[in-house]
Amino acid sequence: METIWLYQFRLIVIGDSTVGKSCLIRRFTEGRFAQVSDPTVGVDFFSRLVEIEPGKRIKLQIWDTAGQERFRSITRAYYRNSVGGLLLFDITNRRSFQNVHSWLEEARSHVQPHSIVFLLVGHKCDLEAQRQVSQHEAEKLAGAYGMHYVETSARDAINVEKAFVELTREIFELVRSGDIKIQDGWEGVKSGFVPNTVHSSEEVTKGSRQCFC
Amino acid sequence: MSDSEASRTAAEGADTSSPSTPDISPDVAPTRKARRKPAAKPEAEAEETPAKTPDESTVSQGGWGYWGSWGKSILTTATATVATVGQGLTQVIEKAETSLGIPSPTELSARVPAEQKQEGESSSQAEGAASDGSSAVGSAMGMFSSLTNVVQTTGKTVITGGLDALEFIGKKTMDVIAEGDPGFKKTKGLMNRNATLSQVLREAKEREELQTAEEESSDSEKKVVAHYGMMFDEFQGLSHLEALEILSRDSESKVKSVLMTLSGDERVQLRDELDRIKESFSMVEFDDEEVDENKDEDGSEFERDLMEALEGLSVSATADKLCKACQDTCSTVRDMNKPQRDEDDDEELTKTHSVEEIHAAAIRSLAELTARSIELFHKLAEMILFSNGSTEAGVLSQLTVVLCKELSLLSKKFTSCLTTAGSTEKGDVLNPLITGVFLEASNSASYIQDAFQLLMPILEISHIQRRAGPSEQ
Repeated sequence: METIWLYQFRLIVIGDSTVGKSCLIRRFTEGRFAQVSDPTVGVDFFSRLVEIEPGKRIKLQIWDTAGQERFRSITRAYYRNSVGGLLLFDITNRRSFQNVHSWLEEARSHVQPHSIVFLLVGHKCDLEAQRQVSQHEAEKLAGAYGMHYVETSARDAINVEKAFVELTREIFELVRSGDIKIQDGWEGVKSGFVPNTVHSSEEVTKGSRQCFC
Repeated sequence: MSDSEASRTAAEGADTSSPSTPDISPDVAPTRKARRKPAAKPEAEAEETPAKTPDESTVSQGGWGYWGSWGKSILTTATATVATVGQGLTQVIEKAETSLGIPSPTELSARVPAEQKQEGESSSQAEGAASDGSSAVGSAMGMFSSLTNVVQTTGKTVITGGLDALEFIGKKTMDVIAEGDPGFKKTKGLMNRNATLSQVLREAKEREELQTAEEESSDSEKKVVAHYGMMFDEFQGLSHLEALEILSRDSESKVKSVLMTLSGDERVQLRDELDRIKESFSMVEFDDEEVDENKDEDGSEFERDLMEALEGLSVSATADKLCKACQDTCSTVRDMNKPQRDEDDDEELTKTHSVEEIHAAAIRSLAELTARSIELFHKLAEMILFSNGSTEAGVLSQLTVVLCKELSLLSKKFTSCLTTAGSTEKGDVLNPLITGVFLEASNSASYIQDAFQLLMPILEISHIQRRAGPSEQ
């Protein structure tokens, strides 16, 4: 008997406007690249299941925040219930990299008293010719803040799975080790459920027919 | 038994079950306006213990109410009145259930495993339509029973999912409850409680997922399941609701702290201004106007009303999504009605859509439209907070009315579709499906009206910011 999903993690995706947060999420959840997209207003929502180990599925509930400064006072309110997040910058936009620090500060101060696990993502890595931030530099910064670093491209579908799955694994380990605990009134991590087997004595069916994506 | 017959039976049930009713005046519906009026000092009231008003609760139950009254949330309605109307309620539930074939929540939980067992047995013999039907009953009642379970396990003072069925079955009864209902207090109570609406709904949904898992593990062939809660979540309705709640709570505490910093006349004046905003939220009447199910066949009328209500609110992208969902629903209904038209020419065509399919489509449509509506309210809240423009509560209540009417209209379209398609089905197959559609339509209206109420603190803080002038921003 399998679980539908073991845990649900709430992730928040933050970073400067136009670094490609929504595109990355849509590539991950919908499997396609949205060429044109309107700026996100406030927050939007996406979800997907990932299998981190055979039979172990995690439901990711992804909060896609607006990067524009004018929405900041609203988006701040949304950080609180996230267990983890992707912090994006655009490798062709140096300023977006310089803002990583302030994004991190802001997020960490607003998730208090909980902590939040971030993954640093250098996005638009298909645009190598216009690169303004070197991989080495980004890795150094990530290391300084205790984050991992991944370079992705939503357009060419590079490392998109990897970014989300890596973060999910990292959180999963922290949950498993007890460093992150499920708490009432906190939506960051929710426990899934094991289907009750009492009623199905005659025939146990294999595989899952449940799909959330 | 058709849908209107069902309602009538229920009405009679409601009448006879409360002989103590002193005055029956069926056409005078107590309005929501009247009930919500005591809004002047919500903070103080919210702290009070629920008023014990047994007399009040049994007074006038006249009138059929209207969409708005029975479309009220299990949560908002439940807070204070449980104790006072409990007895009459049980009777009515019994009556209504026997006449409509709705199992009581307790019965239901016992029945579900039994049904599953039964299905297991019958499927080995033949694929009887009856067993399919009963599985659909189970799923139609999914939300219903899981909410009950939430109540049982958490011990919260929610009147249980049974109320929802009741809201549909006996609007009169709802008015009884409503009479003892301290109006505005309920909503405040809801917001002040530890469990937020979206949390409770999430729990309900999780129960439902669990139930599905159990059902599926016992019967792999079942696939036409219509779980409102899960679909509502799939369309991100829960997330938008939660985000809206976050904004609402934040605004509420900001308003409070602003009031704390003021003193004397300034404070009195601001309180007065805020009271006026509160008032416009408590004066809303959700029209009792009969909805003609033949109108607005392609959803264009709804689109026009919606756009009119939203004029100048800059949430067009979200509104477009809602309109699209509505148009899709309308075309679904049209498609489902089609085969019936040439019934005489070709008998085989009539079987194109089973009642279970129509039911599933109805539940899905309701869930999607509701999720999109909540999304719209959430986006409105965000726009109001960051644009500094003034938004009138009247505009928002108008929007709420438009949305609730549309849900009412659609549920009627779907149930008449069901009635036609199921003309050859037995009552115990068809009725629960019809009930299920109305039940979830009632839920839908509740969510939308709750979302509307959540906007109040947002308008208040927006008012305060505007008042303070641009320097504040």
